[in-house]
Amino acid sequence: MEDLAPPNQVAAAAGRLRFVKPRLAVKVGDRVKVGSLLFSDKNRPEIQFRSPGGGTVNAVTFGPRRRLQEVVISLDIDEDYEDFPQVSNADLGSIGRERLIELIVGGGLWPLIRELPFRDAARPEALPPAVFVYLDNLEPFHPLPKIYLDGAVDLLDFGLRLLERLSGATPVVTACSHNAEVLGGLKGISGRTLAGNYPAHDPGVVLYRTKTSADQNHAWFIDGQDLLLIAELLKSGRFPTGRVVTLGGPAATRPGHFRTRIGAPLAALTDGRTAAGEVRLVAGGVLTGNPTPRDSHLGLFEKALVLLPEGNTSGDFLGWTLPGAQTPSYSRAFLSSLRRRGEFPLDCNRHGGLRACIQCNFCTQVCPVDILPQLTYKAILAGEVEESLDHGLLDCVECGLCSLVCPSKIELLKTLRQAREQFYEEMS
Amino acid sequence: MNPVKRLFDSQRHRFAKGGRFEKYFFLFENIESVFFAPAVVTAAVPHVRDSLDVKRFMFLVIVALLPHYAFGIFNVGYQSHRASGLPLDFWPMVWVGLKTVVPMVAVTYAVGYFWEALFATVRRHEISEGLFVTCALFPLTLPPTQPLWQVALGISFGIVIGKEIFGGTGRNFLNPALTGRAFLYFAYPAQTSGDAVWTVLVAGRAAPVDAFTGATPLAVAQAVESGSIVQAWSEAGYSLSTLFFGLYPDSIGASCTLLCVLGALFLITVGVADYRIICGDILGFLAAGTLLNLVASSAASPYLGLNPFYHLMVGGAAFGIAYMTTDPVSAPALTGARWVYGFMIGMLTVVIRVFNPAFPEGIGIVILFMNCFAPLLDEIQMKARLRKRIPNVR
Repeated sequence: MEDLAPPNQVAAAAGRLRFVKPRLAVKVGDRVKVGSLLFSDKNRPEIQFRSPGGGTVNAVTFGPRRRLQEVVISLDIDEDYEDFPQVSNADLGSIGRERLIELIVGGGLWPLIRELPFRDAARPEALPPAVFVYLDNLEPFHPLPKIYLDGAVDLLDFGLRLLERLSGATPVVTACSHNAEVLGGLKGISGRTLAGNYPAHDPGVVLYRTKTSADQNHAWFIDGQDLLLIAELLKSGRFPTGRVVTLGGPAATRPGHFRTRIGAPLAALTDGRTAAGEVRLVAGGVLTGNPTPRDSHLGLFEKALVLLPEGNTSGDFLGWTLPGAQTPSYSRAFLSSLRRRGEFPLDCNRHGGLRACIQCNFCTQVCPVDILPQLTYKAILAGEVEESLDHGLLDCVECGLCSLVCPSKIELLKTLRQAREQFYEEMS
Repeated sequence: MNPVKRLFDSQRHRFAKGGRFEKYFFLFENIESVFFAPAVVTAAVPHVRDSLDVKRFMFLVIVALLPHYAFGIFNVGYQSHRASGLPLDFWPMVWVGLKTVVPMVAVTYAVGYFWEALFATVRRHEISEGLFVTCALFPLTLPPTQPLWQVALGISFGIVIGKEIFGGTGRNFLNPALTGRAFLYFAYPAQTSGDAVWTVLVAGRAAPVDAFTGATPLAVAQAVESGSIVQAWSEAGYSLSTLFFGLYPDSIGASCTLLCVLGALFLITVGVADYRIICGDILGFLAAGTLLNLVASSAASPYLGLNPFYHLMVGGAAFGIAYMTTDPVSAPALTGARWVYGFMIGMLTVVIRVFNPAFPEGIGIVILFMNCFAPLLDEIQMKARLRKRIPNVR
């Protein structure tokens, strides 16, 4: 792991947050400390976003329809910190649930605890049926738990204990089989080893595979690294700023793990590590992440930055007739299917024209939660909301595999996501 | 730079906005996309996509069909020389086959492409590659004597009524190639049934030589009133190996069971055809055949007692199983429904062959019939599947 040089500015990125309607609490020129309130949700006061740096607000940017994009803070050399109440190991046994919620909400880290099925911030008023803590992420190019947990096992343990207090349930800690050694370091709680390919790590998948009744649908979950932030907030009384992120993808010339700050400029990661040519920056993972402008900053939830060649070129002459020994594909339609492992070129080319669904069933085969994506998609387009819900629209973990494998290049994930968002809006 | 690429680049401005042929931009784009995959990048998550597209998917079916064309050209010439009493020399036979088959394929593709291009240009979408598969399948199912204007009419019906009016490939519920074939069967029975249509006569002959029987094995089987069908076949010159290799008068390229088996294995291997449909088909054939064997008696038609494996070997059964039932668009989507779909096709085909004297071969009609039931089979399995699901409705 490499430590990046401290940036001279950080930002709270709001543009890529889902289910949050930001209400700004600062304006350009305001002085802020580490942990000062920057913006909160218009409808849910417990959703607060606090400053990842101390200094002066030097820009507030807006996107389409005046949606808040970023609050940029230029950092002082000596940053001031907001003081938050501390919780010691001993306090943890006696502290009440209400008080704990108050501390996490007040510290601006409540949104890190999320709730299925929509993956928005958890609702503090209800006790969840289960809490999942996932230590690793099988999406390519994500931080490995043995790296970010190095020296932080006690902190994780503290976090797990406060999560137990918070939810009234023993957290289910998961890691996939090749990362299972980190589970050995846990005290008091025995972790669960997961087997399977991406997205076997996903709490939505774990819940789908283990649930026995509809009462369990609203389980909570949190990423292992995010839990460390909450633990650090309560233990130190200071808003945490550190973060382990990864840089990866075919266009990253020096990929790896980096220790940097929450909200660091992307340039701090990409400068000198990006291949020549047109490159797309995808923050949050190669399959689920969002494209990000180069002058943007890492969001609170984003732990991976993937650099993809744009691939904006036309294909080989009669490329569809070639054997395709170097062609990455889920299908067996290329010679490359004889060689499942190894490195394959990857870019943002769509690799084909839009077509109607031909029922190849690839999406059904890859769906981790047994949805029939192509039929759910058709139900959504036909306006059959009830039917799409019966199909398991809310079980969808938005892993993106259906869109990835579709030979007709149908935007399955986009359609399912939009339907989920629309349903969320109607429910709230 | 590739000269074809240079040609497209140099002509693009004529079709671009403001150009002389602006109206035909989609046609230009359609033709270009055949030669070069378009430089289109993703606009939504996930930002990477699989390399497989529908073009490749459909191309693999055409690869599987090419040996059938080679076989068809040979067999048309071979049967033609036998019927016309000419010596069985290889190249003259191939020449007769080429003269017969190539114009039919050319007409099919020209007319089929015309309709697809017309609909694609009007609807402003790209040409769907399903067309090329339909046009590759269609001539193989025709008798070699089919007049070219009927070929044109048949493929027009198949493409327009079987597919385009529903919105094109992917939205059709009938197999377009079979729709066109069925249209010809009902509209022009004189040119699509009987014993004479399966052989091209050359050398100025109006009737085949005396020793030659133009009846297809299925017609022979249906005509047997008592005794053994296998015996009747061997009297007509159809030995077991003749039937397996398909060297008898039949539609152009559908009779060779060997190639159908290889083609089916190829399509399953590359993941284009679903083995469930194929296995269902075969099980259906064998089940119905065995069932009829059980009720067969000396008084009943000898067709009831035919060994069920023969049903798989004669006529268009193997071709239908390998290439027509596996069309994923007109088949059901769900795996269980696919088994049932295949099984029903096999059963019904045997039943129609044995009991309906109007149809010596039933598989084409049966596939179209089961196409209509595919959505229902899907619906039934879907209901059962959703019942098992733990609801997640907020």
